[in-house]
Amino acid sequence: MKLKQFTRAIFCAALIMSAATGTASAAGERMQLKGELIDTWCYVSQIMGGSDFIVGSAHHACAVWCAAGGIPVGLLAEDGTIYMVMRVGKDSTSVANPGVLGSMSHVVTVNGTVHKRDGINYLFVDEIVADAGITKLTHETVGVIPPFAVPQQ
Amino acid sequence: MTHGIEMKRMLVVAAAAGAALCASASAYAAKSWGVTNEEIARFDAKVVDIACELGGDCPANCGDGKRQLGLLTDDGKLILVSKNATAFTGAAEELVDFCNKQVTADGLWTENRGVRFFAIQFVREVGGEWRAANRFTKKWSARTGIEESKAGNWFRHDLRIKEVFDQKGLLGLGAEADKKFLESRQ
Repeated sequence: MKLKQFTRAIFCAALIMSAATGTASAAGERMQLKGELIDTWCYVSQIMGGSDFIVGSAHHACAVWCAAGGIPVGLLAEDGTIYMVMRVGKDSTSVANPGVLGSMSHVVTVNGTVHKRDGINYLFVDEIVADAGITKLTHETVGVIPPFAVPQQ
Repeated sequence: MTHGIEMKRMLVVAAAAGAALCASASAYAAKSWGVTNEEIARFDAKVVDIACELGGDCPANCGDGKRQLGLLTDDGKLILVSKNATAFTGAAEELVDFCNKQVTADGLWTENRGVRFFAIQFVREVGGEWRAANRFTKKWSARTGIEESKAGNWFRHDLRIKEVFDQKGLLGLGAEADKKFLESRQ
């Protein structure tokens, strides 16, 4: 009797573990990521020029415009991978999230979950654990991109 | 470099003007914007809330324009729509009216650095009337109460943006950095 109960318990535990593994897969992968919050349209399309200049202080103004306009904000990780930010904390707003506008172009470290689907990495941020501010002073090399972001005197 | 940027800017303006012309002339077909690895495309798909599709968090009406929306094709491919046909704006305002409906999307792909996403220029419910994907500015004007005459340059009048620039400066490095940069240009 005890052997039967033990066997049943093992079987149930295996079932639960199997189900949990499947759920974890469907729920995405937990990750800690460090990278710059970027304007994904200009960075990917290169409509303003080469991607290497569509980061940091040179593109801060445009990055704020685009984030406020609802273009997906991305986290450009140190290895060059782009993660599309779908949520920050408990706020599921991913279009012009007011909590993100003031952090555009900042290098942040986040904890969150990544879902990979059809070539895109979707990032659901649980918390921002560090904010290093803007670290790439690209304006010193290329000015402001686009140039018309600078108010005319 | 600067010349290249100016050229790109002209292309953006030309593309926006082209889209508007197309809308008025009933020639609803996407135009080239000269973006990287561009591919003009038209296809049918269902408008979906991406967070809902991925994680089952599904508010009413695809989040009422507050969430990134995508296009789900019949073969199950999820497409991120990153851009509409107005300056510096995304696609949620254009697609939310079609939440969970089948649409025909007309626009272009761009691909770079491992990411491929779609910019929509025209959209219609399958079998319905075409519309230009340029509704952002009208909705922005209605939402903010700022007159439509300023909506073309909405990004210069948006109070959320003004607040960020007031606090962090144009470069995001503070007022002193802006001052130093502007002085260096004179």
